[in-house]
Amino acid sequence: MKLKYILGLIVIIGLSIIYYRFNPGVYNFFPECPFHKYLHLDCPGCGSQRAIHALLHGDILSAANYNLLMVLTLPFLLIHFFLKVYSQVTKKDFTLKIWCHPATPKILLAIVIVFWITRNIPFAPFNYLAA
Amino acid sequence: MEDQKPQDQAPFGQPPFGQNPFGNNPTPMPKNWLVESILVTIFCCLPFGIAGIVNASNVNSKYAMGDYAGAQAASAAAGKWTKIGFFCGIGVIVLYVLFFVVLGVGGFMSSYR
Repeated sequence: MKLKYILGLIVIIGLSIIYYRFNPGVYNFFPECPFHKYLHLDCPGCGSQRAIHALLHGDILSAANYNLLMVLTLPFLLIHFFLKVYSQVTKKDFTLKIWCHPATPKILLAIVIVFWITRNIPFAPFNYLAA
Repeated sequence: MEDQKPQDQAPFGQPPFGQNPFGNNPTPMPKNWLVESILVTIFCCLPFGIAGIVNASNVNSKYAMGDYAGAQAASAAAGKWTKIGFFCGIGVIVLYVLFFVVLGVGGFMSSYR
């Protein structure tokens, strides 16, 4: 179990170094989303790799331009994992109760689907969401 | 899988005696895999992530209604879809990297013909 966390940390650090060093918009050895490759439509995760590259360079605006959803969910995920580690260390439960609320997954699902549809609409107010 | 073993009752957050007659949940809430399915959705391999979010929604609503067996089943389904999505994503990445390495090595060899 400890080994799993250590391996995960090593993988995350290695990936951050790779994504910091190489721009996925320039180098072609990064995997392309199969949904985008074959259907030429954006999925909710399209643009995440370029957004991570931009975020690691501190450029939040262009990251939000690549994938707004990822930039908006990342703070929640960071808080969640920080609280999880903190509860493990202090042996008390600080984990967010909002994940267990019955409405949370429904709202999230609605946000993801609305984001998925709107980012594929090719006119002016929506094409800023596209990857 | 340390989340699935029965947790000892936590001493914090317990309601005062007699305040909430139907809310004293006898079983801890099963893992709803919501965060994991969000991660799978955002970092590609989306249909499985969406299935994970739907099942997480089932876990939460069934647990809130008091259907603990249904919540357990939905939790198992959510975990299944999230893991499928995760390993599909890993598989796609590995295949892509393998493909790139094979092509790169092929190009390297052919340039030295």
